[in-house]
Amino acid sequence: MAGNGMQRQTVLSLRETIARIEDRRLPGCVRAASAADPAGFRGEREEASRRKLLPVGVPQFDGVLKGGLPLEGMTEIRNAETRDAGAAAGFVAALAALYQREKKERGHLAPILWISQALACQEAGQPYAPGLASYGLDAERFLFVSVRTVKDALWIAETALSVPVFAAVVLEIRGNPACLALSESRRLHVRARAGGVPLLVFRQAGEEEASSAFFRFQVKPASAGERPLPDGSVLCGSIGHPSFHLLVEKSRAYAPLDIFMEWNAHDRRFYPIDERRSAALQTDDKPANPVDPLSASAGRSGRAQPLGRLVAFARAS
Amino acid sequence: MCPSLDVIAADPSADQAFLEALADWCDRYTPLVALDGTDGLFLDITGCAHLHGGEKALVSDVLSRLFSLGVEARATVSSSAGLSWAAARYGKVAVIAPDDADWVLAPLPVTALRLPAETAAALERVGLKEVGDLLEAPRAPLARRFGSFLLLRLDQARGLEDEPLSPRLPVPSFSSERRLAEPLQDEEYIVELTRHLAKDVRSSLERHGEGGRLFELLLFRVDGRVFRVRAHAAVPLNDADRIAALFRERLQAVHDDLDAGYGFEILRLAVIRSERLDPAQEDFSGVADESQPLAAFIDKVAARFGPDCLMQAALFESHLPERAGGFAPLRDVAAAMRPSALEGKAIPENRPLRIFAHPERVEATAEVPEGAPRSFNWRKTHYRVARAEGPERIAAEWWIDGEAHPTRDYFRVEDQEGRRFWLFREGLYGREVSTARWFMHGVFA
Repeated sequence: MAGNGMQRQTVLSLRETIARIEDRRLPGCVRAASAADPAGFRGEREEASRRKLLPVGVPQFDGVLKGGLPLEGMTEIRNAETRDAGAAAGFVAALAALYQREKKERGHLAPILWISQALACQEAGQPYAPGLASYGLDAERFLFVSVRTVKDALWIAETALSVPVFAAVVLEIRGNPACLALSESRRLHVRARAGGVPLLVFRQAGEEEASSAFFRFQVKPASAGERPLPDGSVLCGSIGHPSFHLLVEKSRAYAPLDIFMEWNAHDRRFYPIDERRSAALQTDDKPANPVDPLSASAGRSGRAQPLGRLVAFARAS
Repeated sequence: MCPSLDVIAADPSADQAFLEALADWCDRYTPLVALDGTDGLFLDITGCAHLHGGEKALVSDVLSRLFSLGVEARATVSSSAGLSWAAARYGKVAVIAPDDADWVLAPLPVTALRLPAETAAALERVGLKEVGDLLEAPRAPLARRFGSFLLLRLDQARGLEDEPLSPRLPVPSFSSERRLAEPLQDEEYIVELTRHLAKDVRSSLERHGEGGRLFELLLFRVDGRVFRVRAHAAVPLNDADRIAALFRERLQAVHDDLDAGYGFEILRLAVIRSERLDPAQEDFSGVADESQPLAAFIDKVAARFGPDCLMQAALFESHLPERAGGFAPLRDVAAAMRPSALEGKAIPENRPLRIFAHPERVEATAEVPEGAPRSFNWRKTHYRVARAEGPERIAAEWWIDGEAHPTRDYFRVEDQEGRRFWLFREGLYGREVSTARWFMHGVFA
């Protein structure tokens, strides 16, 4: 019996630790009095009053975000292949535009800093000023740095997070470099939260990797809608507002596998894609239990190894 | 003939570099150092001599330090550059009082007057071998026979005619230096000392109502080498901590080139360029200006990665997409915080988010020659076009590219998986080319 009790206590304390790391209240779990966390995590009570969110306006997406985009801390966006970089860059730029608009509404004309590894720009193209301007970003307040190594990019990101001037900082890197591992991402995350700046890590053509980000999304291209005509119909064969197919890979809420939405550059906001287009891929199996189930691990563990990863076998002799 | 003779080829450029290094080293005595030909330096020590214990002490200090550096040198202090030149090369006096000019000059050969070789030879032919002979001779015939240049040189040597020296480097408007009894090697201490120097500079900057934009830190190493480290500031600056922070980044960036060796004995902080800085009232948050933290960030990045690293999106007046937009180095920090000047500007619709610096060649197939592509191969992958919009015809700018440059037809296409690309066909069929080439120019969101 005593052993059983010990086990339960261990499990409880572990659950509590996890809850603290994830900054959420665990139902039925009594928190230990540990206000000053040595690891630097904020206590939940403090968090509840401080947590600032920016609602996006797409109910499904806001649900995953638990209310809205975090206004401080790190969010990771990745795409699987270089050729999808356009879609992912579009999603990142849209989030940046939302952050910038939010700052503007509060009376600050805040610039966006886009830090890019030079290799990423060579492979997927450079940000293009007229395109950014027509996409809804304030082009004059778009600062761009391209540096050769990831280390330099990390240094600039860390410096930028300590000055409270940027509406958002975008760190674009290619692949999964060893110098941006869990500890570095943790460092950036803590910096971003301390500085009160949202950090968007845009991992171009990268694998999913453990990080300290609040959320990680994979962006896939989705075919756009058609241009609406004044009489309510659509122009057949035209390419309308850009659409995104979002896979939620890390979140604290229960996440449906696929989220579809489109960005309206004129209104500078996201709109959900109408049911007809996304119905086929939507799954609506919300549980009756109001307690959040575990977040969906979108094809994480236990999945089949993708083909083409093993280049050669080790020599047998 | 002489087998033990060791022949070393002359290296004038290395000699020149060495002379310039010596000139840098002489910065410790005065900021006004001018090069004189290939083997001499002029130092304007007006108002500096007392800092080194008088003229005599200064000369002996220069000579003894140069001797310990392995340089054999001669020096003379006098009231004119010409007299110093003559006495240092042909005379024996170290310090010449203004009244003794004629007395010192008289026994020197005429070549001591820095004359062209033919004039000196002509003078010697007629028996005027020493300067004293010229001093006694009537001026008018001399000028008639040997030209007015001779008399100009003579008057310059006697101090009757003014001779401006052109210093190698601009004289900083504000500077402050520290001489150290114990040489300094550690970067941390250098930064800390720079902060102290910046405090000294600050007071004089404040007096003039100015702030520095370009700072220079001179590090005099004990063995005579001088390092110059420059740091740009995005906004006029007079805050000691900010200046020190600039140099902290800068010193880290140049760390490999900055060999401390046995240490630095003199540190000098100079303001090369300064601008007007109006004092601003700090508000309760302790920040005077919203652009200050941004400027501090820019300075830090620029100190490490160069001043052109941080760029700002810019739109230009051009039809060609690659010229219509780009990134320009961020120059005006305040502009980044001001309301936009682009509000009313017409921004072309349907431009891609990312553009390739060099359009990439693709193999495309179109249904009709002038029409949109049906499929294309880009980066060894085949794409089928589901939808296409276009063409948007953009002609070349003949005033830049010439009239023969082909026209482009841009298409916005979406492939079957939903990727949106910006393709163009170069050249109009029939009129410009017979077979058109297709390029990938950008990707849309």
